[in-house]
Amino acid sequence: MSASRVRAITQRLLHQFRRDRRTLALLFGAPLIILGLLGYLLRGGGDVPKMGLVNLDLGGNGGLVASTLERSKTVSASRMSAADAAAKLRTGDIAGYVVFPPDFSTVAFQSHSIAPEIHLEGSQPGLSQSIVQAVSQSFVTLAGRVGGIQFAPRITFLYGGSSFDTLDYFGAAFIGLVVFFLVFVITAVAFLRERGQGTLERLMASPLRRAEIVLGYMLGFTVLALVQSAEVLAFSLLVLHVHNVGNVALIFLLEALMAIAAVNLGIFLSMFARTEFQAVQFIPLVIVPQVLLAGIIFPISTEPGPLQALSRVLPLTYAVEGLRNIMIKGADLTWSSLQLDVGVVLGFCILVILAGAMTLRRRIA
Amino acid sequence: MATEAYAVDVDDVVKRFGKQIALDGVSLRVRRGEVYGLLGPNGAGKTTLIRSLVGLVAPEKGTVTVLGRRMPQLAVLAHVGYMTQQAALYPDLSAEENVHFFGAINGRVDGVREALEFVDLWDRRKSVVSTLSGGMRTRCSLACALVHKPDLLLLDEPTVGVDPQLRVQLWDGFRKMAAGGTSIVVSSHVMDEAERCDRLGLIRFGKLLAEGTVAEIKAKAGVDRLEDAFLKLSEASPA
Repeated sequence: MSASRVRAITQRLLHQFRRDRRTLALLFGAPLIILGLLGYLLRGGGDVPKMGLVNLDLGGNGGLVASTLERSKTVSASRMSAADAAAKLRTGDIAGYVVFPPDFSTVAFQSHSIAPEIHLEGSQPGLSQSIVQAVSQSFVTLAGRVGGIQFAPRITFLYGGSSFDTLDYFGAAFIGLVVFFLVFVITAVAFLRERGQGTLERLMASPLRRAEIVLGYMLGFTVLALVQSAEVLAFSLLVLHVHNVGNVALIFLLEALMAIAAVNLGIFLSMFARTEFQAVQFIPLVIVPQVLLAGIIFPISTEPGPLQALSRVLPLTYAVEGLRNIMIKGADLTWSSLQLDVGVVLGFCILVILAGAMTLRRRIA
Repeated sequence: MATEAYAVDVDDVVKRFGKQIALDGVSLRVRRGEVYGLLGPNGAGKTTLIRSLVGLVAPEKGTVTVLGRRMPQLAVLAHVGYMTQQAALYPDLSAEENVHFFGAINGRVDGVREALEFVDLWDRRKSVVSTLSGGMRTRCSLACALVHKPDLLLLDEPTVGVDPQLRVQLWDGFRKMAAGGTSIVVSSHVMDEAERCDRLGLIRFGKLLAEGTVAEIKAKAGVDRLEDAFLKLSEASPA
């Protein structure tokens, strides 16, 4: 063991990094960006879930609980008619509503049991949980007045249901994410290898057009990506039994679009990296923020305002939403929300294809 | 295209990379069926000149005409073979697959066997490139450059790392191709290779110092050895 030899290696390493400004920037910048984003996401005072209050109670207790809920800080509750509430639940304007039936007060006093009806939209587990929690807390005041009372809400779900587990909720989103992420990394690295081993120079010195190179790459990787998409989908549905009420062909269509987008994003971004090492660095910059902001884990409707705007321009947001629309809600292409999702993902595909072809041309000229 | 008198016509080409001047008003012409040697030390501008012939370097000034077509032009590249200095190959593909690929992107795959036999790799055609020795990779790279039977072959230091016996064999091959009408531009810093070219261009600091047959260059410098001629002509025109 020689200290000077070890020191030689250490020094060489630090010297190398001093030259690679970009890696240094990533090393010290990316953690702050990611943690900052996470902090803002969780503590930025985002919106609370919206819910409806339908008070039909002939006694006074329904109104009492309703006004407690209206003052709640964990949900944003407002009174509405039963028909209104049902419609808003369907459009996704509210994540749920609670109904106090006409005999609510009577039953509460006679049988010492509080039985409100809670109707949940159900496609986002975080939102459902917040609402049930807020409703049960609002009864604490009432329970104090009546004494020895049981809380037995009747919960119904528009989508999903009590049989849903975590995987059922996240499965849909992750099917898209896994394909997008892996295909992106593989394409970016493969394209950089072409540059590094000198073969790109040879391709450029041949009659090949830039668009032919991009298209050839796209088709080649799309074949791989489609096989992967099919495999991921089959495994999720047949082995893991992830909940799906939608059309499998539609899921595959959305996945395939994601894969094509990832291929072209990989080609496009590889133009901005010199080495495979630098290509991998795009992961924390491109992939991680999308994972945090695409509504996979944190519902977009409860993000702080500025982040909601950011989420709304990320293509992954629409892909995740589309997959949930199909798998959890059973949407088809007649749904305007799914049309928007597919449209945005398709638009993004076209955008990155053009960007890839154009950047390739610029780099060589 | 065979009617054009010159395979390559470079006229007063200037190219800078930042402050570094790579080509400083270079003019030269390569005749049809000629083996033209670009001779010069490392960093003289040989590679930049060759890259400008395939449109990979855009001159700031001057014109490059290849096989009668003003560069850059894509279609003419199907008739040009380009061998880069570094053996540019796909390491996961076999020698044959590499050669076939480069034939295919140039629109001709009928010459795969001939190209591999030319570089003496037919027996190793099934070997994956990453398992080949350095010299074999250079040869495979050469096969990729001539698989589509180009009218103009650009070779950037093609015999680096190739053993002497095969080097002789390759040069015999180049002469044979030239006799068949192929024009060849080959860069080198090895003097005995230069002796086998029809004409030479001596290049240094991005300038063409002298041009002509080996005998003409020796006569111009008034010496017997090409090496001495190169040194003498370099001194005569300082950078």
